[in-house]
Amino acid sequence: MNQSTRGKTSSRHLPALIAGCAMLLLAGTASAAGVTDAMISNDATSTNDVLTVGLGQSGQRFSPLTTINADNIGDLVPAWTFSFGGEKQRGQETQALVYNGKMFITGSYSRLWALDVKTGKRLWAYEHRLPDGIMPCCDVVNRGAALYDNLVIFGTLDAHLVALNMDTGKVVWNETLGDYKAGYSYTAAPLIVKGKVITGVSGGEFGIVGRVDARDAKTGKLVWSRPTVEGHMGTLNGKDNGITGKLNASWPGDMWKFGGAATWLGCTYGADVNLVYCGTGNPAPWNAHLRPGDNLYSTSTLGIDADKGVIKWSYQSTPNDHWDFDGVNEFIPFDMKDSSGKVVKAGAKADRNGFFYVLDRTNGKLLNASPFVTKQTWASGVDLKTGRPIESKNNRPGDPSAAEKGESVFSAPSFLGGKNWMPMAYSAQTGYFYVPANEWGMDIWNEPITYKKGAAYLGAGFNIKPLYDDYIGALRAIDPATGKIVWEYKNDSPVWGGVMTTAGNLVFMGTPDGYFKAFNAKTGEVLWKFQTGSGVVGQPATWEQDGEQFIAIASGWGGAVPLWGGDVAKKIKDISQGGMMWVFKLHKSAAPAVAKN
Amino acid sequence: MPRHDAQGVLAHRVAGARCALVALLLIAPSIALAAKLPDSVKTTDPLRSPAWDAMVARHLDGGPVEFDERVQVTVPPTAEDALAVPVEVRVDDTLTGVEELRLIADLNPIPLILSYRPTRADPFISFRFKVEQSTPVRAAARTKDGVWHVGGAWLSAAGGGCTAPSHGTGEGMWRDQLNQVSGGLWARGEDRSRLKLRVMHPMDTGLAAGIPVFHIESLRVLDAKGQELALIKTYEPLSENPVLSFELKHRGPVRIEGRDIQGNLIQARVGP
Repeated sequence: MNQSTRGKTSSRHLPALIAGCAMLLLAGTASAAGVTDAMISNDATSTNDVLTVGLGQSGQRFSPLTTINADNIGDLVPAWTFSFGGEKQRGQETQALVYNGKMFITGSYSRLWALDVKTGKRLWAYEHRLPDGIMPCCDVVNRGAALYDNLVIFGTLDAHLVALNMDTGKVVWNETLGDYKAGYSYTAAPLIVKGKVITGVSGGEFGIVGRVDARDAKTGKLVWSRPTVEGHMGTLNGKDNGITGKLNASWPGDMWKFGGAATWLGCTYGADVNLVYCGTGNPAPWNAHLRPGDNLYSTSTLGIDADKGVIKWSYQSTPNDHWDFDGVNEFIPFDMKDSSGKVVKAGAKADRNGFFYVLDRTNGKLLNASPFVTKQTWASGVDLKTGRPIESKNNRPGDPSAAEKGESVFSAPSFLGGKNWMPMAYSAQTGYFYVPANEWGMDIWNEPITYKKGAAYLGAGFNIKPLYDDYIGALRAIDPATGKIVWEYKNDSPVWGGVMTTAGNLVFMGTPDGYFKAFNAKTGEVLWKFQTGSGVVGQPATWEQDGEQFIAIASGWGGAVPLWGGDVAKKIKDISQGGMMWVFKLHKSAAPAVAKN
Repeated sequence: MPRHDAQGVLAHRVAGARCALVALLLIAPSIALAAKLPDSVKTTDPLRSPAWDAMVARHLDGGPVEFDERVQVTVPPTAEDALAVPVEVRVDDTLTGVEELRLIADLNPIPLILSYRPTRADPFISFRFKVEQSTPVRAAARTKDGVWHVGGAWLSAAGGGCTAPSHGTGEGMWRDQLNQVSGGLWARGEDRSRLKLRVMHPMDTGLAAGIPVFHIESLRVLDAKGQELALIKTYEPLSENPVLSFELKHRGPVRIEGRDIQGNLIQARVGP
């Protein structure tokens, strides 16, 4: 409303004047400098906000806060909750972001809320208008937003990237990441690197072409784009920037045109080497008999120059993947002391294929690879010289050729992976990675398939089976220098939630049976648990305000397990749906029962 | 179509009273203020709407307002289709210097339909909108001196237009044509033309269960050099796939630029 056009100031105008003053007051309280690159660079150590999914660009998910610690965790109680509402309650995989008195969370079906971080009061909501034809492979989840300047940015199931004003919730820009009718979608949290918003794409089950994009975070304008399948052209500032790899070097014929390698889990950043680390998914179709060759750069970790959008190094964990061993898992940069005491610029990834890889983050050279699950039928190890898996004989599904169905094999891990999307955490304090893992295998067979736009492009059938009667899920502490599992916690049902660790000697993770749990970071002992009412597949976050430490987790069962879990479904069929943000703090008996604000 | 007259007011008072309860709650503070107004300010509403004071406070920046017959609103006597009631607004030549038009349906759950800035255009607009119940339909024309000149008409309606899902949403096809523009441009005299536009958009109000609010936010009409001819800001009540007509002080092709509230862009060219 244009206040300046009013000519007179009689009492007639009083309501408008009051309204005008109220608006000014609101504007006054909302003013903040905005999130800067420096703030994002420091997010891993700053404690009064949470600016990035992963608690820092490297995604270590470690907080230096010690107010809540292994000695007082028993006093952790809820501070407030927020219901996502709506009738369609599905998997809630978000992580809370906290800045300037507000919490930003995303929810199923491409929704986003701004809440008052002290009270949980809803400030505004954005519900993305989704077409009927969206094709998310593995539930209608969202894994969190990114903050930059005065914007909160998140991706949607119809493959859009939307930036909203943090204070008003109004859309500032909206860019298309891909054609949802061809199977493109988006669920990962975007990553901010030096003023750019970095995103991947989802859709590897539909023969899309994986890609990493960098856009100007303030305007949404594309800066560079890097396809992840060889033969496709990259761009920089609107100009061709060289094709990825070498055409037909590792793909036969035209198969690279629908080659998958979706970057559906987004990226992390190694600031010291200016590389964006992005995992790539399965090559398409799943039936590998149709695409002999390594199928670069599927099932790989890529180190991409953050400024120029060119691949500096790549490491492929499962060449010519035949099991949907998506190599998309997060690559977390960390400094590792090797056996001689020398500090190595390393990075680690717990792959769907069951190996825990440690690479030199400057050049992608393999330093170590060790199993983090109990059973791997497809390979006996990884050759540290060549970096390639030592593949078992006869563990690939048979070639169906013209037959309806090829020979079936039993393979472990299952295609849902030794570890799936749920992010692990690294503590420089203990030196351990905390890896959420699952023990399952699958019967898998191949079928003939041809590409058709918007249709599933698998050429495979499967049935997932638990390996053990007493547990599927596990949380394992791994020493990256040795690859040894230091402790493990076993969970009856598969684990599907993210992990966080703190300097208070704590590790946090939720489980499908509704518990949010805290573990002793050194021993794995369960120190505290809280029933949230629905399965927990969200990512924990923590911050400090007014001298108190807070911990937030989303509760709401869903994700790929109930959709794809095969025989595992029996273990999870009775879990209630939900959609709730839980925020915890230490109980203070002196505090008033009702918050003053 | 017949213009609204005093008889029409009486005929529709019963319908208006039905909705007054909710409106009164909203305007209680304004009533208290209105009681202290000096006699010189004319605030008598010829349509006797229970919500008028609230409309002035919320949608006309608090006034000042004058009821002015030179601002003419034409609506059908009854809304045959509550999802698309045609409205035409025309301002008499003797009222000059109109900088903005605002269209308001007092008793709609979301009253503000659109605002229109005829930068290089006549203060004329026609459109269709969704009506929830019988209501006054107002056009307020702001002149350079800041005064809102208000004309209006009662619309009789069985209602329900604002809380029904859009057709496009029901059919699931809205996305294929989202923000597509079709239009016509007809020359009038030597330096004028009439522009008619249709923009494909579900224009969901957010009041139908389970369907989030989603509507066109703004449309700008530009000449070939990119100079603004007209700007329209639109809100929830504007009908699905809205059809809008403008009278431009311009001849030759025009460009349309706009967006909806989720940042989807609208871009088109319309030639004669």
